[in-house]
Amino acid sequence: MSINIKHLASLSRLTFTPEEEEKFEKEMANIVALVEKLPDLDASGALIDPDNPMQLRSDEVANKPNRDELLQNAPEVQAGCIVVPKVIE
Amino acid sequence: MELYQLTAEKLSAMLAARECSSEEVTRSVLSRMEQKEPEIAAYVTICGEEALKQAAEIDARRAAGEALHPLAGIPIGIKDNICTRGVRTTCSSRMLENFVPPYDAFVMEKLNAAGAVMLGKLNMDEFAMGSSTETSYFQKTRNPFDLERVPGGSSGGSAAAVAAGEAVLALGSDTGGSIRQPAAYCGIVGLKPTYSSVSRYGLVAFASSLDQIGPMGRSVRDVAMLYGAICGRDNHDATSALREYPDFAKEITPDIKGLRIGLPKEYFGEGVSAEVRDAVMKMAKELEAQGAELVEISLPSTDYALSAYYIIASAEASSNLARFDGVKYGYRAKDFANLTEMYEKTRSEGFGAEVKRRIMLGTYVLSSGYYDAYYKKAKFTQLRIQQEFAAAFDKCDLLLTPTVPDTAFKLGENIDDQIKMYMNDILTVTVNIAGLPGMSLPCGFDSKPMPIGAQLIGPKFSESTLFRAASCWEKTLGGFDLSRTLA
Repeated sequence: MSINIKHLASLSRLTFTPEEEEKFEKEMANIVALVEKLPDLDASGALIDPDNPMQLRSDEVANKPNRDELLQNAPEVQAGCIVVPKVIE
Repeated sequence: MELYQLTAEKLSAMLAARECSSEEVTRSVLSRMEQKEPEIAAYVTICGEEALKQAAEIDARRAAGEALHPLAGIPIGIKDNICTRGVRTTCSSRMLENFVPPYDAFVMEKLNAAGAVMLGKLNMDEFAMGSSTETSYFQKTRNPFDLERVPGGSSGGSAAAVAAGEAVLALGSDTGGSIRQPAAYCGIVGLKPTYSSVSRYGLVAFASSLDQIGPMGRSVRDVAMLYGAICGRDNHDATSALREYPDFAKEITPDIKGLRIGLPKEYFGEGVSAEVRDAVMKMAKELEAQGAELVEISLPSTDYALSAYYIIASAEASSNLARFDGVKYGYRAKDFANLTEMYEKTRSEGFGAEVKRRIMLGTYVLSSGYYDAYYKKAKFTQLRIQQEFAAAFDKCDLLLTPTVPDTAFKLGENIDDQIKMYMNDILTVTVNIAGLPGMSLPCGFDSKPMPIGAQLIGPKFSESTLFRAASCWEKTLGGFDLSRTLA
């Protein structure tokens, strides 16, 4: 089992040093070996509980006036807006 | 007897009879925290002043003759992945070190309405990923029975605080055993409720299809009281069940005559310590003597549960944790050249190693070409496990098993061996996979001597039956022995 750590890290938006990468590769191989043990089931049916169906709430506009509380958590704020790096070149 | 040593049930009666005030109870618990926190380290954030203010308000309302909830004025600790408006909620992660929620979780709305006193936020494994509370970014919590040992996890702070008298009750959360395993390790009672009975609104998501908030306490009735206060329909959680719940604490009768208790043989096999197995079997015999009928059960797919659990939980985690990007809230890295680098540095610096492993595993099992081999197979296995439980519950009313294969291990013992750490969950994950209620309750001590936990599992929404059987056991023992940790 070979796991492409660099590719997975990139998909996960994570970066590792070469030493970390080596350690992760070993650990991931062990973990994947643990979770690989699954039966071949010819299963059908849905994983939905018919006795307890979900019910979505109606789509209604609600006013929650806590703008300041929301913004105080942002890493960088200017003039009531969240600042991000330039997105378009 | 000090006030901090008493159960919520006793304190509630004393408060109602004006034998003590909530302020006195809260002061007693806060001074206990001052004494024990240097060695236990259960809390990430302590809200002493706010708690005393809440207590004084409840006392004033009581003095004015207002009819109050049984939990009014009772000091409660909250796991740090449950959003508390105005009080930082860190998930024991650097990523959320300074996150102050702008809203309350549904369970907090309920507890605030009941008038419970919030003591502070309890330590946990980072993002609830772990079984020892050692992956917390902030501190290692210690087991009140033996400071060299872990309290279990991920709700380790909750379990340690309740056992040590640093909270009368606590909320934890359970995705694969995170309430029951620490409850077992710390000699207390912990309930993972039926999936969908407690709203997940405001619980920082780990694996949404498995996560459930639940109560932890020093007696069965205390746990029933807290469960009754937090369950119920919430429009903010689409999975929240539409149903009415009884007054669990009120209707408990410690009578189990005719109750059929199943003993699934797969839960007593290899890997389970002899002392744990003997203690649980002794409990089964005792319950039989009280009028229960013992039934041998087989749940053959138990062997596959851990694989299915780690695949499903990690897959959902990798998706849920994608939101931590350093944009709107949480940690943001300092130096970066562009947006992608900001994401990568923020996540690499903000998450600890265990969280990264789970994100990577989840990304792997969901990635193109592997989905059928892992995730799809895991979901089918989940269905099979649900069917086996359903068949078992035709033959019995509930199941009795050990909660964990062994008692609490030492700090550092398993931290570099993920496989050994994951094996801790082998007897608890099935319950989450099947959406069932599961409860851990103390059933004696091993030779170390550390507490042993027994697990009761029932069909969906059978909490009342679990409370009944558990309280029968509690009565047989004459109460759970926490004299060592409450002294």
